[in-house]
Amino acid sequence: MFSVSSLRTVFRAAPQPRWLVTNRLSGSAAVSCSAHCVSTSVLKKDTWDSNFNFRALGKERELFISTKQVCSRRDLCTSQVKLSCWKCQQALDQTPSFFCMSCKVVQPPEEGISFFQIMDCDYTFTLDTQKLQKRYLQLQRSLHPDNFSQNSVREQEYSESHSALVNKAYKTLLKPLSRGLYMLELKGMRLEEGTDLGADSDFLMELMEINEALDEAQTPEEANKIGQDTKGKLADLTEQIDAALREGELQVSKALLAQMKYYANIEEKVKKKLSEFM
Amino acid sequence: MASSVTKKCLSPLAFLSRRFSAPEFISQCCYHKKVVDHYENPRNVGSLDKNSKKVGTGLVGAPACGDVMKLQIEVDDEGKIVDARFKTFGCGSAIASSSLATEWVKGKSVDEALMIKNTDIAKELSLPPVKLHCSMLAEDAIKAALADYRLKQDGEQQEAVRASR
Repeated sequence: MFSVSSLRTVFRAAPQPRWLVTNRLSGSAAVSCSAHCVSTSVLKKDTWDSNFNFRALGKERELFISTKQVCSRRDLCTSQVKLSCWKCQQALDQTPSFFCMSCKVVQPPEEGISFFQIMDCDYTFTLDTQKLQKRYLQLQRSLHPDNFSQNSVREQEYSESHSALVNKAYKTLLKPLSRGLYMLELKGMRLEEGTDLGADSDFLMELMEINEALDEAQTPEEANKIGQDTKGKLADLTEQIDAALREGELQVSKALLAQMKYYANIEEKVKKKLSEFM
Repeated sequence: MASSVTKKCLSPLAFLSRRFSAPEFISQCCYHKKVVDHYENPRNVGSLDKNSKKVGTGLVGAPACGDVMKLQIEVDDEGKIVDARFKTFGCGSAIASSSLATEWVKGKSVDEALMIKNTDIAKELSLPPVKLHCSMLAEDAIKAALADYRLKQDGEQQEAVRASR
């Protein structure tokens, strides 16, 4: 892990700080490029699949691997609005751009960038949470408003909004439920606000029984048992959702995520119940 | 819950310090005192015998918030609802909505109970827009209970017809 001061030195000295530019970044440029041209909710299944499979396609990889090959990105997306630094007007070549490459000044968050791009994670349901956490700490070390107390008001505002966005991205991607729901959102789907009219009544009955049992639990052991069962169900659902999202089966994923929501609520209640016993 | 209500109402400092955690405005709504009343003094919590022919059971869920609601009605021979019970696992607004629903259906006929609208429930409890779906859930629970009762009654009628042959 870098120390904060050495990070700052790396950032100031190197023209292209490596930890801001990753191998994957250029690969994801194709995806992010289309995100700029159209809204993020139209990240098509085939784009996602090609991103998922691109490691297998050696040839295509050559086209994207070099961070210096800015031209390839431009060719792919001619209608992209070019973003430039608000201070020195240089083009912001990277996506996402946290700092300008030339004058190093902090940039405001861009529209249409997904949380996966911000946190430099593969656009899949399975996620390396350790890597996510590392990236989160890395980003906040440079973006946090505390670093900008001596800078201009505009820079302070930009660091605030960027830092808040990174917080939101981290929180969303950390837990499977919110991650899955976000992935659905990117495809234009949400869980219904109101009653689930197609819900399986046996399933709801089971949920009722678990909730009632938890309510009536007299000892921490009883509550724990319910907690363990729920954890098992959540792990099971995580696997199923991963498979469904890989196949692009959105309706199935949506139904599974709804189930996960119910069990996640029970998990929260178990924690509350256990704390009451203390 | 009452303590958390006061905390929500009187903590502008806490709200400000949470500014960095989300760029969008965090809505701090206090629960209306009627909702708090239903939460702290719930009416008609419990269960009825779901196997009884006179009992209709409505079981509904809201996937977005993960709430589950069970509402049961007991109907007498004249088609009047004589008893109602509920069990809801969810937020205060959902609990209050279902509690109010059980209060309202008592004494009504099956057809009158069908007329209860979520907007009436929401108005009575002064539910904020973000909690309107809770009243919707309660209305759907009433309808589901009535539908279940109807189904049982139709089933019973068919049995009686078969038996008389």
